[in-house]
Amino acid sequence: MSITELLWRFPSVQMAWRNLGRNRVRTALAMLGIVIGVVAIASLGIAGVAIQQQATANLGSLTDEVMISAGPDSPEDGITEEQVTDIRSVAGDATVVPEKTNHTTLETRDGREVFVGVTGLTQASAMYTVSEGENPDRLQSGALLSNSTAQQLDLELGDPVEYDGQLYRIRGFVESQGGFGRGGRELVLPVSALSEQEYYGSVTIITEDGDQAQEVANALEARFNEGDDEVLSVTSFAAARENVGSFMNTLNLALLGIGSISLVVASVAILNVMLMSTIERRGEIGVLRAVGIRRGEILRMILAEATFLGIIGGFGGALASVGVGLVIFQLVTNDPMLIFSWPSLRYLLLGFGFAVVASMLSGLYPAWKAANDPPVEALRG
Amino acid sequence: MSVVELSDVVKRYRNGQELIEALKRVDFHAERGEMVTVIGPSGSGKSTMLNLVGLLDTPTEGTVRLDGQDVTDFSEDELTEERRSGIGFVFQAFHLLPMLTATENVELPSMWDTSRDRRDRAIDLLQRVGLGDRLDHTPNQLSGGQQQRVAIARALINEPDILLADEPTGNLDQDTGRTILDELTRLKEDENIAIVSVTHDEQLVDYSDRIVRLVDGVIEQ
Ligand SMILES: Nc1ncnc2c1ncn2[C@@H]1O[C@H](COP(=O)(O)OP(=O)(O)OP(=O)(O)O)[C@@H](O)[C@H]1O
Ligand SMILES: [Mg+2]
Repeated sequence: MSITELLWRFPSVQMAWRNLGRNRVRTALAMLGIVIGVVAIASLGIAGVAIQQQATANLGSLTDEVMISAGPDSPEDGITEEQVTDIRSVAGDATVVPEKTNHTTLETRDGREVFVGVTGLTQASAMYTVSEGENPDRLQSGALLSNSTAQQLDLELGDPVEYDGQLYRIRGFVESQGGFGRGGRELVLPVSALSEQEYYGSVTIITEDGDQAQEVANALEARFNEGDDEVLSVTSFAAARENVGSFMNTLNLALLGIGSISLVVASVAILNVMLMSTIERRGEIGVLRAVGIRRGEILRMILAEATFLGIIGGFGGALASVGVGLVIFQLVTNDPMLIFSWPSLRYLLLGFGFAVVASMLSGLYPAWKAANDPPVEALRG
Repeated sequence: MSVVELSDVVKRYRNGQELIEALKRVDFHAERGEMVTVIGPSGSGKSTMLNLVGLLDTPTEGTVRLDGQDVTDFSEDELTEERRSGIGFVFQAFHLLPMLTATENVELPSMWDTSRDRRDRAIDLLQRVGLGDRLDHTPNQLSGGQQQRVAIARALINEPDILLADEPTGNLDQDTGRTILDELTRLKEDENIAIVSVTHDEQLVDYSDRIVRLVDGVIEQ
């Protein structure tokens, strides 16, 4: 069945369609207003999503971590082996990574010295990403070196580095992570390499998600720190993540608010267009009423006109918003395809739905007015 | 029984402070198969009376009957149903919808009635008024006389009992007016309907079965 045949079954829709075709310029301008409104609401919403995704990515895995170091009330200058055992029992199935840290200087071939941090730990793969070479789950021998340092020193996989009189073969190059990440100017060694230190400098617990991180942090506080004592200093970033989340919600609402204003402006434009076109066609509507077309039928016809404006304008606006969204995501997150994920697609639907509803609402008054115009008055023009 | 009847009808308009009495105790009736022509000077109340007969307006005083039924106190929606099923209109300015073809314009009064297909009757009516070869033309592709014939076909689509025409030849030259009047006379007999027309045009008098003179809101016999 063709579209015209289908439309013929709904006379109001069919008449509305033809009426819109009569003054194409006016119809196009009214639709343009809606397109702009939808683009405003959708692209501002999408911008919010993009910023939020980027902010979460920047905070990165930090929100899923709990960091522990010796507090001011600790009897020792670090975390003892016993405390680590206790921490493991509190942390349950989360990964517990005790670390020792130091620093040293490495020499380039031409004799220049490069200063690097030294980290001694076992679960290397839990803490580092490796761009080249291997990333052992348990680092028992050999070393990992940060990319930048390796380049500076002109070192390759398998080359030895010296620490504390011992040579370690380089097994992998560590990628530097953004944010507060690790991997900048760093030499990673088995924990045994730093055995001259009795205690651990810090313990990192890697949890499933931010909620678990918060739980573990609370449990550790209760276990180790009685009253105001701070034997262990326990830090989690879950609270930071929540703060960012609520800030983003506020930002989103503000952006959507601005977008809605432009759609309200578009609605007023539709109201104006519909009012003008019904006033212009007053005599014609009078003829319809005279030949027995019911008030409800006139009402539906004019509402259908407004709805068409909303549907077509809304669809055009959604299409344009996809384009704008691609650009936004490219600029903010470098991944334009994220526009097709649900959080941003949602705003396209929202913009479209808003356009249709706003158009129908704007059509309501002109439709009601035209339908209730007494036929004699309307025929007089 | 008269197909339509006005008895003792008064119509007053308030124009600011001024009260205009457009119809002063008018009695009028029309029968099936007759063509009544209302003649009178400008401002005498002809259109006002025709609007009452056509149920487009309600009288200030008096009674309107359709086939003996008192419709004076009908609501606007009930009046719409009566107009839809029983009354056809032809206007001086044709009033066709510019975006519809001749056939669609004729179908217009029955368009929202999806229970029956009126296309065949619309084409039949257009053929009877001599427009069988203009079915898909839009109004701006038709001459004034052709447009008025489309309007006549439209007025007849719902098989009305009454056809009302306010100056049907007012926008046409004499020869074209004559063909329109021939058309109306023929249809009046074919369809056995009452035609009430209003005019300044003395030419219409030759086609009328009965003439009603309206002067200053009063009917003169
Ligand atoms: N809606 C109205 N409001 C106020 N006065 C009106 C209204 N309609 C008609 N009148 C007045 O009623 C009188 C009769 O008007 P009507 O239109 O019936 O005259 P007519 O006989 O059809 O005139 P014409 O031949 O010029 O069409 C006029 O004085 C007119 O001014
Ligand atoms: Mg008149």
